[in-house]
Amino acid sequence: MNTAQQNVIEKIDMATDIVVIGSGYIGLKAASQISEIGYNVILAPQHNDMGINCSIMDVLSTEIDRLKALETEVANNTNVEILPISTLVEATGTPGDFTLKFKSADSVVEKKAGAVIIATETAVNPLNRIYGLNPAANVVSLSEFENLLAAEETKKELQTNGKTVAFLVGFAHEGSPLLMKRVLNSVSEVVSMDGCSAYVYVNNIKVAEDGLERLYMQCRDTGAIYFKLEKAPTVTQENDSLTISFHDPVIRNDIELNPDIIVVEESLVADEANHSLAEILRIDEGPMGFLQKENVHRLPVNSNREGIFVVGSSRDVQNYSKSCTDIDNMVLRVKQLIGDGTKSIAAKAIVDREKCTICLTCYRCCPHGAITWDDKAIISSIACQGCGICASECPMEAIQLVDFTDAEMADRIKEAAAVEVADAPKILAFCCQNSAYEAGMAAKAFNYELPAGLQLIKVPCAGKIDIQYILNALVEGADGVLILACHHGNCKSESGNTYAKWRINDAYQKLAQVGIKKDRLEFATLASNMASDFARIIIDMEKRISQKKD
Amino acid sequence: MEPKNVMIIGGGIAGMTAAQELAEAGLSVDLVEKSGFLGGHAIQYTCKATSECLQCGACSVEKMLKDVVENDKINVHLSTEIASIEKNNGYSIKLNKSAAFIDAAKCTNCGICYDKMKENDVIMQGFSKNNVPLYAVNREKIDENKIALKDICPEGAISVSDKASSEDLTSDAVVVATGFTPFDPNRKSVYGYDKFPNVISGMDLERIKRQNGFLARPSDGAAAQKIAFIQCVGSRDENLGNLWCSQVCCPYALRTAESLKHKNPDLDITVFYMDIQNTGKSFPVFYETCKNDIRFIRSIPVDIFPIENDNLNMRLFDEAEGTPAMEAFDMVVLSIGIMPNLENEKLAAQLNIALDSDGFFKNSDELNKTSTSNDGMFIAGTVQGPKNIAASMAQAGQAASGVLKYLGVTK
Repeated sequence: MNTAQQNVIEKIDMATDIVVIGSGYIGLKAASQISEIGYNVILAPQHNDMGINCSIMDVLSTEIDRLKALETEVANNTNVEILPISTLVEATGTPGDFTLKFKSADSVVEKKAGAVIIATETAVNPLNRIYGLNPAANVVSLSEFENLLAAEETKKELQTNGKTVAFLVGFAHEGSPLLMKRVLNSVSEVVSMDGCSAYVYVNNIKVAEDGLERLYMQCRDTGAIYFKLEKAPTVTQENDSLTISFHDPVIRNDIELNPDIIVVEESLVADEANHSLAEILRIDEGPMGFLQKENVHRLPVNSNREGIFVVGSSRDVQNYSKSCTDIDNMVLRVKQLIGDGTKSIAAKAIVDREKCTICLTCYRCCPHGAITWDDKAIISSIACQGCGICASECPMEAIQLVDFTDAEMADRIKEAAAVEVADAPKILAFCCQNSAYEAGMAAKAFNYELPAGLQLIKVPCAGKIDIQYILNALVEGADGVLILACHHGNCKSESGNTYAKWRINDAYQKLAQVGIKKDRLEFATLASNMASDFARIIIDMEKRISQKKD
Repeated sequence: MEPKNVMIIGGGIAGMTAAQELAEAGLSVDLVEKSGFLGGHAIQYTCKATSECLQCGACSVEKMLKDVVENDKINVHLSTEIASIEKNNGYSIKLNKSAAFIDAAKCTNCGICYDKMKENDVIMQGFSKNNVPLYAVNREKIDENKIALKDICPEGAISVSDKASSEDLTSDAVVVATGFTPFDPNRKSVYGYDKFPNVISGMDLERIKRQNGFLARPSDGAAAQKIAFIQCVGSRDENLGNLWCSQVCCPYALRTAESLKHKNPDLDITVFYMDIQNTGKSFPVFYETCKNDIRFIRSIPVDIFPIENDNLNMRLFDEAEGTPAMEAFDMVVLSIGIMPNLENEKLAAQLNIALDSDGFFKNSDELNKTSTSNDGMFIAGTVQGPKNIAASMAQAGQAASGVLKYLGVTK
């Protein structure tokens, strides 16, 4: 074991060019705001976000002009370089010093950047097939219908031929408030047209957004009829004739309608570029193809890697105002990271270059993409979050955390195991500082009853609990050892709790070989605000061990 | 140059986040909180994890509170209200500070005062170990308990003769983050909240879960076995004039139900609802899990009346049968919603900011909901409208960003 050097302060030059991937409205707005705080922007348009895509916007028509002005503003902004439509093909480096390669139709360009912002758009996915409907003049998607309403001529035509409009919403997928708002905006227009009526067949009405319940009620009060059903009505499409029928649970009758037009819902799906962006930038993908895992530590705009931020619809289906909230938060993060272009930072983890055999285990297990290499592994002080997963995984023991060296941890374990309390079993609890350690301190602060022989050992992340620590604790005389990690999906380093669990399974096998009972070692997950659960888990363990001893 | 100063009104999750962001950007911050504790409503919420985290965000509040109390650029004023505010170059503010009675510097958080005075509610305990101090004196109960309190503290941290005071300060910008008032379930008298002990609100549920680790019935302390959640209590209610969805109640009810089920798979849980709202981007998967574990009935119960053993009979409309029906539960949780803070009108008048038709603070720009009609003032969190913890934090970041831009700090 080696001892890490004392806090080495590194002075790092940070590139002040910021790459924004995606040039829809969110990308343009991001570019505009980053340049406003004094950095240069390299804007990389993606395949599908050129031009105005008002149909998936939820903003008032009065705001559209303001958004359109953004295009001109960004185009004329000398601090914004706009690349041709391009695909990211390679990304290397660390925060403050990323190198990105973009491939466009006729060239490959390489750009240096201090930070990368992903601002891809959503794509519209038609859902008519799920309803068994074929697109026709009288069977249109929500976007198509919005376009019909938008032009005077087609709107007039609608008024003449489309007296009865039926909307199908929420049966093909759960939907979102953003889609609901668009449906209700269209419904509102239909009921305001002379002689037209709107029927909305809907499952869960998604009104969890400012103003939507009011809009929903306004539509109803001005004549829209809602049928709230748990499954889709039966729809038949024969030649030009449309029939919708269903069983009304309230009046207990079959109801049939022959609408002139059926408007079918659609879904907003993640940009197909997200997957390859995630792979190349080595950031986590979340559910449904959106970027950013559902981990509260990432909110609002962080990825698992420092210096790579996700905003707007790249990370979820979000309306325009929420996307703007993202951009403001991203600006704070970029400013904090890049500052005036130099950064002084203390290393959290240090590689012993003598011991490193460049096996790249650290590169593979680092959840924050903090590891690069020359002829030995290098840990970026800016990217490193100090979780210590690499230090525990390194087969050569070549990595030490500055604040939690193996030597210090060994001392701490020895010291904790040496504390004697008469008639009380010794319980050593390794506690992640983000969750269980806080819960333990809270249990003490609130005077919960805790075993007298309990000792807490703080670790930066459960992923830093070496199997050696566990074995040491038992060898040094602990009667029980607890590994207390964050809940699955709540680890700040994404997989620290998973590594801890693997190591415990290994430890169980090793203990079995030497005849030590399994119940002296336990793994549990906690959150920082779970003081009473912390106390319960430890007391349960004490009871178990005490029974064994008797 | 003197560092700019920002005053933040309200020490809940939005106010704390705004304070932390601005302090991180190098500004000095005065964080003014009316109650004796930072953390607002959200610090009271319990973790809703099952075998995995369900992203309720309660732990984010805990973390933010810790960061804020450890940040020496944030000057926290507890038990303090705004007496007056005047716009000149920046803002001149007069604060009214209630007597604290507990000297934070001397208090060791031992809890002796709290334990000794448990019966008469005169000492209040914070919800987080990060509350400094962890205890506060209930101002309404102080007069009748002065003698008992006088020598109760072994450290001499309690001084019953403590007086209210005022303080003048100036700030360059203001963030209003005074949060919401939970719906008062007594306004829906058909559910008998004030009459039947086992009819509780979502806020009560958090408290009971925190204290007991399980859902103990207030009537007898026994673990509830058959539980009903009634959604939209106070929200989406035309009769009350509340034409908004509170946005947080479906998520909290479903997450709580799942976390209770995780601890005790035998629980029988029913959710009565109008429309289920999403929890996050993995909602479709989560909702399927919920449908397997929980019974969903699309009907809002008519009323509740008590039966033997403090159990509750609920009258509802059975959609499958098309007839009125009756069902017994041993506990009913009213998923109360987010209402405008009762003090919004007073505060809005003081600050010269408009309210919207629902009584929340009105944003002046639809595309930036932290904006107000008053240039140097920003709003964040549920003072602007219903939102969850994550959205309140994001909006607080946006308000901080707005403040920095307004003060010319970001350039």
